Amino acid sequence: MAQKRRIGVYVCHCGGNISDYVNVEEVADAVRNDPNVVVSRTHMFTCSDAAQQEMIDEIKEKQLDGLVIASCSPKLHMFTFRGMSERANLNQYQYIHVNLREQCSWVHTNDKVGATKKGIHLLRAGIAKCELTVPLNAIRIETKPRVLVVGAGVSGMRAAISLADMGLAVFLIEREAEAGGWALQTGKMGPEAQDGTDVVAKLLTRINQHENIMLHTSAEVVSKSGSIGDFNVSVRLPGDETVSLNVGAIVVTTGFEPYTPQTDEYGWGAPGVIPLKDFRQMLAEADGPLMHNGKPVRDVAFIYCVGSRQLKSESCPEPNSYCSRYCCLATTYTATLLHDLEQKTGQPVNQYHLYRDVRTYGALEPIYEKARTGGAIFLRWDPSNPPQVTTEGDQLTVKAKDHLLGGEELEIGADLVVLATGMRPRENDTLNDILKIPESKDGFYNEIHLKLRPVETMIDGVFIAGTAQGPKTLAESVASSLAAVAKTGGLLMKGYVDLEPLIAKVDTDKCIWCGECLKACPYGAIEKVNVGEKEIAFVIESMCKGAGPCVPVCPHNAIEIEGFRDDQITAMIDASIKELETK
Amino acid sequence: MPKVSSKLAAAVKCSDEFNAAACMHCGICTAVCPMGYEILPRKLFRYVQVGLEDKVKENIPNIYSCLLCGMCSENCPAEVNIPENVRFLRKYINENEFNLS
Ligand SMILES: Cc1cc2nc3c(=O)[nH]c(=O)nc-3n(C[C@H](O)[C@H](O)[C@H](O)COP(=O)(O)OP(=O)(O)OC[C@H]3O[C@@H](n4cnc5c(N)ncnc54)[C@H](O)[C@@H]3O)c2cc1C
Ligand code: SF4
Ligand code: SF4
Ligand code: SF4
Ligand code: SF4
Ligand code: SF4
Repeated sequence: MAQKRRIGVYVCHCGGNISDYVNVEEVADAVRNDPNVVVSRTHMFTCSDAAQQEMIDEIKEKQLDGLVIASCSPKLHMFTFRGMSERANLNQYQYIHVNLREQCSWVHTNDKVGATKKGIHLLRAGIAKCELTVPLNAIRIETKPRVLVVGAGVSGMRAAISLADMGLAVFLIEREAEAGGWALQTGKMGPEAQDGTDVVAKLLTRINQHENIMLHTSAEVVSKSGSIGDFNVSVRLPGDETVSLNVGAIVVTTGFEPYTPQTDEYGWGAPGVIPLKDFRQMLAEADGPLMHNGKPVRDVAFIYCVGSRQLKSESCPEPNSYCSRYCCLATTYTATLLHDLEQKTGQPVNQYHLYRDVRTYGALEPIYEKARTGGAIFLRWDPSNPPQVTTEGDQLTVKAKDHLLGGEELEIGADLVVLATGMRPRENDTLNDILKIPESKDGFYNEIHLKLRPVETMIDGVFIAGTAQGPKTLAESVASSLAAVAKTGGLLMKGYVDLEPLIAKVDTDKCIWCGECLKACPYGAIEKVNVGEKEIAFVIESMCKGAGPCVPVCPHNAIEIEGFRDDQITAMIDASIKELETK
Repeated sequence: MPKVSSKLAAAVKCSDEFNAAACMHCGICTAVCPMGYEILPRKLFRYVQVGLEDKVKENIPNIYSCLLCGMCSENCPAEVNIPENVRFLRKYINENEFNLS
């Protein structure tokens, strides 16, 4: 048994959420006379201000050095009670949370006696863990007020400007000779009718005028070290010059790659079968009726969802099953651009839009409405019966079924077949090797949580935005880059960041450097260091997440997670089975 | 397989008289039409819109048997002016099929 402790135990009714199914008084009574327990009582609502104040007073008055609260899930109130502990001058890591609601009362509503017994076991385990706690301090890292933004498409440029406006120094790195990304090639864009090149030009003017932004084109990241708040990044500039940058955070806005159809996919390869990008360019350059092969264009068929929302089949073993989001907007908007040209030139062009679902969601619906009422014909197709594109001479024919005619087949003779190709993750092997941002199953960079933490990655201090994270329209790309700006600003403006101390710890005597833990660590948080003659494993505090895959692989029991040490876990198991009846 | 006629499609598109873009294919018009043809007017308009000229021609008798009574447009939730559309079609057929002008 460890040294003598003074632990306070508080069991919560949760207004009946717990006490209707668990006899909380019996639970509190069961541990009251345990050797290290000084006080054990119940509260109707432990999280209420009044109850917190009572606990604070009692912790101070009875000089408690450990706290166990048996209430709801720690996801709900762990930080509430950590804060409370600090206010009572008790180290927050000496408070232990026992989940008596989600893991006991709510799942055993039909067995109060059993639930009460289980509650006692859970509480005993919590007390056993608390007995072995030591005071810990958060790991404080000073952050550098500088940011690296990788990729100067619209997303990266927009992020750079707002970061610089906050007073942070920004290094904006672009691999190509010119900043702007795909927006340079999209012609006029919906729904705001802005020319992609104008958007880029305006952003570029602001960037060039901003004293806080340093834009490097034809530049690439070659290496990275350090961690949140303090990264060292080497960047290769044109002429093989390398600069080394010290930044507090990295924002990755490396964008997307348009899907390239396979040969023969919807006639791909035949003259006149073109991607939407090329058609937009034709429109942008047209100063009279549209011409193709020296003839005026009269009939255009648009095929939607090319390379998106694919089903698995023999010809498509690795389908892109996601929706590319931008293409319904971009294609219906293109229909309205074509209507405008028609009005201007007086040359009618028939438009056939072969779609699966029109996903002009939210405020984009009027674009579809405008395309339709302007005379574009929409024909829906089913993935089991995709449109067929065939060629004869320079005549293209699209065969489709119209579901509004009960599936009657029809043939459309087209001068041009325009494919609304989806977005693919960019090939970026070198960068991926350096940054190690996890990828989603679709191959884009993965956020921690799509809704709750959409621009953060598993690598602390590395953020993602724009189409690098997943398909987006221009407005959505900008919105996400501003979200990344907010997160980056939140991290760097304070000047420091506090990290959880519940991380791996190496016993330098036991470790013989076999490297097993390094192989197991998904965050690259383990390094080999020399201590005198001896080589041992070293945990980079700012990178370790305390996830613990290193622990079970160590053949010498030399590595442990603070707060989840072997002695604590063993004590918890012993304590929780103390009262188990053997039948 | 029925082919889309670029000419009909363009004529429909450029006309102020024919307008069925608002049609949501609910079929009320077909249900209330006293002539009781399955084709009138919902399916016929789709043939016209898409530009399936052969299908339209097959239905010349139906197009000319419409009474222009307006029962359909009276009940159409999308306010499609159906008799006006039928008039447009007759004009198109008179000119292009019967060579009248
Ligand atoms: C044909 C077409 C039409 C469109 N029409 C519309 C429309 O009408 N409306 C609309 O809202 N949206 C439209 N879009 C979508 C819109 O273009 C995108 O949402 C937007 O451009 C995405 O910008 P981004 O900065 O995220 O990505 P990108 O434009 O791909 O920019 C990424 C940048 O990062 C650089 N980069 C990549 N890797 C590295 C690296 N390792 N190091 C350094 N730099 C790197 C790239 O060179 C590029 O400059 C259209 C897209 C296409 C293809
Ligand atoms: S601490 Fe948790 S269990 Fe107790 S009253 Fe508050 S929400 Fe309910
Ligand atoms: S946005 Fe539209 S065209 Fe693009 S993948 Fe989604 S449904 Fe298909
Ligand atoms: S697995 Fe254990 S012994 Fe091997 S390097 Fe890691 S801590 Fe040291
Ligand atoms: S106007 Fe013609 S189509 Fe409409 S209900 Fe009368 S007969 Fe039928
Ligand atoms: S009633 Fe109107 S909306 Fe309904 S099918 Fe007939 S024309 Fe279309």
